[in-house]
Amino acid sequence: MLNSLSREIRFLGKDKGAVFWLALAFTLSVIAVSFGVSEVREQRETIATLLEEDALDRASALEGHEEWGSAAYYAFHFTYAPPSDFAFASMGQRDTAPWKHRVRMLALEGQIHEADTRNANFGLVGRFDFAFLAASVAPLLLILLLYDLRASERTARRHDLLVATAGASSRLWLPRAIVRVGALATLLLAPLWVASAIEGTGAGMSLQASAIVIGSLLVWWLIVELVSRINATPSVLLTSLIGLWLALAIVVPALSKFAIEAANPVPDGGEILLLQRETVNDAWDLPKEATMDPFVAEHPEYAEHAVIEETWAWNWYYAFQQVGDQAAAPLVQQYRDARVARDRQAQIAAFLSPTSFVERSFEKLAGTDALSMIAYEDAVRDFHEELRAFHYPLMFPEAPYDEELLEDLPAYAPPS
Amino acid sequence: MISPLEARSLSLVREGNAVLDGVCFAVQQGEIFALLGGNGAGKSSTLLTFLGFLEPSGGEVLVNGASVSSDVAAARNAIAYLPEAASLYGHMNAYENLDYFLDLAGKSAGRSEIDAALERVALPQEARKRRLQSYSKGMRQKTAIALALLRETPILLLDEPTSGLDPVAIDEFHDLVKALATGGQTILMVTHDVYGACQVADRVGLIRGGKLVGSFAAENGERIDTETVHAAFAGRGVA
Repeated sequence: MLNSLSREIRFLGKDKGAVFWLALAFTLSVIAVSFGVSEVREQRETIATLLEEDALDRASALEGHEEWGSAAYYAFHFTYAPPSDFAFASMGQRDTAPWKHRVRMLALEGQIHEADTRNANFGLVGRFDFAFLAASVAPLLLILLLYDLRASERTARRHDLLVATAGASSRLWLPRAIVRVGALATLLLAPLWVASAIEGTGAGMSLQASAIVIGSLLVWWLIVELVSRINATPSVLLTSLIGLWLALAIVVPALSKFAIEAANPVPDGGEILLLQRETVNDAWDLPKEATMDPFVAEHPEYAEHAVIEETWAWNWYYAFQQVGDQAAAPLVQQYRDARVARDRQAQIAAFLSPTSFVERSFEKLAGTDALSMIAYEDAVRDFHEELRAFHYPLMFPEAPYDEELLEDLPAYAPPS
Repeated sequence: MISPLEARSLSLVREGNAVLDGVCFAVQQGEIFALLGGNGAGKSSTLLTFLGFLEPSGGEVLVNGASVSSDVAAARNAIAYLPEAASLYGHMNAYENLDYFLDLAGKSAGRSEIDAALERVALPQEARKRRLQSYSKGMRQKTAIALALLRETPILLLDEPTSGLDPVAIDEFHDLVKALATGGQTILMVTHDVYGACQVADRVGLIRGGKLVGSFAAENGERIDTETVHAAFAGRGVA
């Protein structure tokens, strides 16, 4: 077998067409990985800059207050989901879901859902990252490398001579295909391995990613192999394989997405924002009990501070912020559940499309999948809850403002 | 004695049509057997059954006494095959082509051996390092014949081997084939060239409509009579 592989490697080196496609694969991989590394570095720099400015801004905002309510009002907190050390390979949902916010003690859900995506256009056209290359482009390159292994030899009237000389078909086609698939996999993965080393990606993750790419290529190799057994001209084979690629890479995922979205309607983020803001805004015109009663139902420990005599009070203000979140909570839960359900069903549907499967697998590895973005939103909610837990015991008894107590002010920790 | 090549009541049906119908013949070691017939007579199909590319519908073909169906790889290993208008790789030169195909056959040959084979088929020295895409049809055929020589198999199957060659090249080729048979190689060639078949073959089998309808043998050191075979080929008589 080693002799056969060595022979086919030499043969491949003389095949200009194959060398061109392999060189293209390597070039595209370098470009995809470079884009990813550059994007991740930009996001890390953005986070570092904002963290620095956030600390300075908050320190300034917390100075000179007399009440905890005003301090909480003016103090913003930067929250973020840092890109993982493998995110360069798959930006995934980071292109369509927000990964950074500036939140404060006001109603939270509006703050989460008013955040714009960083570049919503990527949600439509997708990003040329390694996951896209491995999932969608690599199969095409594999098809171009393998589709006419036999057919071109038949067309050149060389097939019978080759097979008769080889004795067994397996001594010819198998090594020839192994060399091409192996070369493609190596040239696709080499830039990924280099970038992984630079980015400090764990060896285990790199191995998993490599296994996914190789597995995908093997699946597509099987598809090409089955189609190539049809005794047809190279152009017919190529057309058939491109048709299959379109079906598996475009049509099946699109139909799956349509069906999953229809089966799991998700409320718009804007609806959550609107409901929460209307609740907050309406509170200004309602009797204060309409705010304080539902607040106390959630926080009975502050019942003794629930009677608001003044026209305006910070207690009441933050209570109706919280009631705004409480009003939006069912919709938020519905939104979250539907996203999780969609993700779960999309995972099942991905078994129908190697392309989707590879993309999703990379997103999962890179921590850029839907569940990771939901985990980030949950981390923001947890942090906001900590902020409330810090402020309420000071705010509701109307304790005097004391900057020394700010040492215990919660600090946001991104999800691990 | 086992015949290196034997067809026993060979029948072949493809897409409902009888391509071969009860063909029987045996080729002895060192013999040149020419299967002569017109287009669509079943010549090449017969040859392809010996290589295992076509599965007989009835009867069987044997190589060195073993059924091809039972061990096609063994049959192919015993045979060097020269297809009509042999198409080697145009983007490689003669040395590279021969290296590749010999490797494929599980053999290796040094440069001197390859040169000797190319010398034997009279491929000019200056052409050997040129890509085959610049070769004439005759030069490509010579390179393919050199491959068959280098493989040193006991059996040689030739499919219209002189098609497209000029008269001088044809004579050179016939001399080469005779020399190989004298050296003990068993040769089955299929052709529609009556004159060529009679010039080179020890026996000529006439095939028509998938049936072996005539057989002519050289006797007393004389070549087979071309006129007789031509008459039979044209349907004016069968020996």
